[in-house]
Amino acid sequence: MPRANSKMRRLLAVGAASALMIGLAACSAGGGGSDSDTVVWSTWGTPEELTRFEEFNDEFMKRHPDIKVELQPVASYADYHSKLLAQLTSNTAPDVFYVGDDKIGEFVDAGVLAPLNELMESEASQTKPDDFFPGLFGAAQKDGETYAAPNDSNPDVLWYDKEALAAAGITEDPAALAESGEWTTEKFLEMNDKLAAAGLIGSMYWNYWATHWSWVSSQGGTAYDESGAFVGNDDPTTVAAVDTLGEYFQDGTFVVADTMPEGAGADSTFVTHKAGFFSQGRYTIGTVESAGVAESYDIVRWPTPDGAEAPTGVAASYLAINGRTDASEAAFTFWTEFLSAEGQTFRLEGGGNAVPSIQGADDVVLEADYPAHAQTFLDMRDIGFANHPGEAAVPGLSTDISDLFLALYDGKADAQGTLDAVADLVADKTGK
Amino acid sequence: MTLQPGGAAATTVAPPADPAASAPGGLNKESAWRRRDRRWGYVFIGPQVVGMAVFVLLPFVASMVLAFASWNGLTELTWVGLENFTAQLQDELLLRSIVNTLLIAIITVPIGLGLAVVIAVALEKLKTRTLYLILFFAPVVTSTVAVAMIWQQMFRVDGVLSQTISAIFGIAPPDWLGDPRLALIAVCIVSIWSALGLNVIIFLAGLQNISPSVIEAARIDGAGAFRLLRSIRLPLLSPIIFFSSIVAFISSLQTFDTVFILTADAGPDNATRTIVYHIYDLGFGRFEFGPSSAASVILLLLTLVITAIQFGAQKKFVHYEDDAA
Repeated sequence: MPRANSKMRRLLAVGAASALMIGLAACSAGGGGSDSDTVVWSTWGTPEELTRFEEFNDEFMKRHPDIKVELQPVASYADYHSKLLAQLTSNTAPDVFYVGDDKIGEFVDAGVLAPLNELMESEASQTKPDDFFPGLFGAAQKDGETYAAPNDSNPDVLWYDKEALAAAGITEDPAALAESGEWTTEKFLEMNDKLAAAGLIGSMYWNYWATHWSWVSSQGGTAYDESGAFVGNDDPTTVAAVDTLGEYFQDGTFVVADTMPEGAGADSTFVTHKAGFFSQGRYTIGTVESAGVAESYDIVRWPTPDGAEAPTGVAASYLAINGRTDASEAAFTFWTEFLSAEGQTFRLEGGGNAVPSIQGADDVVLEADYPAHAQTFLDMRDIGFANHPGEAAVPGLSTDISDLFLALYDGKADAQGTLDAVADLVADKTGK
Repeated sequence: MTLQPGGAAATTVAPPADPAASAPGGLNKESAWRRRDRRWGYVFIGPQVVGMAVFVLLPFVASMVLAFASWNGLTELTWVGLENFTAQLQDELLLRSIVNTLLIAIITVPIGLGLAVVIAVALEKLKTRTLYLILFFAPVVTSTVAVAMIWQQMFRVDGVLSQTISAIFGIAPPDWLGDPRLALIAVCIVSIWSALGLNVIIFLAGLQNISPSVIEAARIDGAGAFRLLRSIRLPLLSPIIFFSSIVAFISSLQTFDTVFILTADAGPDNATRTIVYHIYDLGFGRFEFGPSSAASVILLLLTLVITAIQFGAQKKFVHYEDDAA
């Protein structure tokens, strides 16, 4: 066989080496802008949300022609934080980035986020610390310093289906009862009993921290003390509340939305009038509107033993600035405008699916006059709480606690045993 | 002297040496050629070696090191000795993952290989087998993600499979992916279906490679079709079946993407949590790279033990033609 032409071999070798270099470069691609007037930021989101963010970028660059903004989207929430972690480890992270409420504590503890107190108080700031609703910061604040702020929020309200309630012979309106201070736990459970007796699902809940801790707090219980230690297992009110919660799940009156089958999931069950209540955020508007049944639904806060309002869980994501950014000034300009009342209004108006986390943007929730008691979103946000900082600081802890509650709901554990197991788990993972 | 196919005479005598090599300085000239060839060889295998070092060797070494450390990717790494291993071996989730993974392997490997043998035997004499091979092989060349997503639709309560079962047996449509008792079976069905085509092709090639003279001799001795299969074809195919079982078992122990897509992470109540999913969850879900690496070392050891058992068992079940000779 003739020897390969030496020029050809050289060419092939160079080609192979180049392909390798391109491959390696592609693997390490991404990351923040290396100059001071380019802001790279990252988030997860649906195509509609990402389109809105691009529109925000365009508007921002019109206002600041000296700053270039690039969005680095990740479609899936599940993949987002592992990518961000890899970028932070390799010093290629974006200048500004979203962080989920289940991961923010870890990033704060690691010291990779820029401290924001001084910047938020500066003249350039459009987002003073007091502008935000304090309960929403959660694990984004540590030792008096702020490391991120909530992008927006989603209080878990109780959506209810007036048609399903009527089918179960319920004549009282939950929202009207709440307005008159008569929205008690007793009334709520009574309605659920009637729904179950009528062959309907009483209430549907997602199995995550906002469900169990909202139930505990609305019933007057205490899950964590101020030091972050779990005390729910030693609090008789909490044990009794969790016992009732478990009882209603075990007899099928309450249903865990996560375990409902594909094709007959919680959303389709709710819009076909097969369930009375559904604990969800403002994004439910899209679900009931697309099903063409919006007029049948309204919202109410969580019931309490005495009918007075009580703080309950508010889901939130956070926006942080990379502690190692080369574009700190431009990054803060973007950060503060993105979170400002104007920024949140721009992002959430016209079908937005969340509730502003800052004062001065409430009109986006009230403008459409839907649901009838939309003000409830704002009231619940004002007094609500984000996930407990101790729980949020340990990745996976919230999920593990939810798994313990699922065992209770499935009848595999009792309330005291579940809360004892949660206490052991929290002590093991947080040292408190 | 021996006779080569085609009748050409072959000899053990060395061919005449290159005149250039025997010329003064010829040896040096040949060495220079070889040196240059070797250099070019290095250049050509270089990208592959670098790729292997970066994407295989380095992660392997890093994983071995991290197994003895505590590190979340952000803070400083601290050594913890065997703590990650002891914690993992006491972790109910890992034990659950091991049980699930072994169940997947025990269900999918024998059924998958058995089906593949049956299909390969059925196709061997079929004139239209190419068409069937294309159909069977299509899932092998289809992305696992796409396969899982298609099956996800079929497994829905209102999907084709559940509705058909409901119509035939008059029962409530099964919730394949939401019922902890069915979710693992759903994963097994998809795994068997996905790998079937490759095994059919391998076994078919093995069957066609059996010497016709052996088959003919058995026929002359009065062996019928079943006896031929049991005593001739399957024993002669056994080395290939053994090889496929090793590959299939290792592949089953590494089940991840099907579970991740099909059953939304680890299924209801961790019913489909596999070891690799457990490793992924610890590392990239919880940022616990130490325990995650320890779990991956445990998987490596488990794979080695199972493969060693398979090699031990092969002496009884695998028939090599050399042994017969």
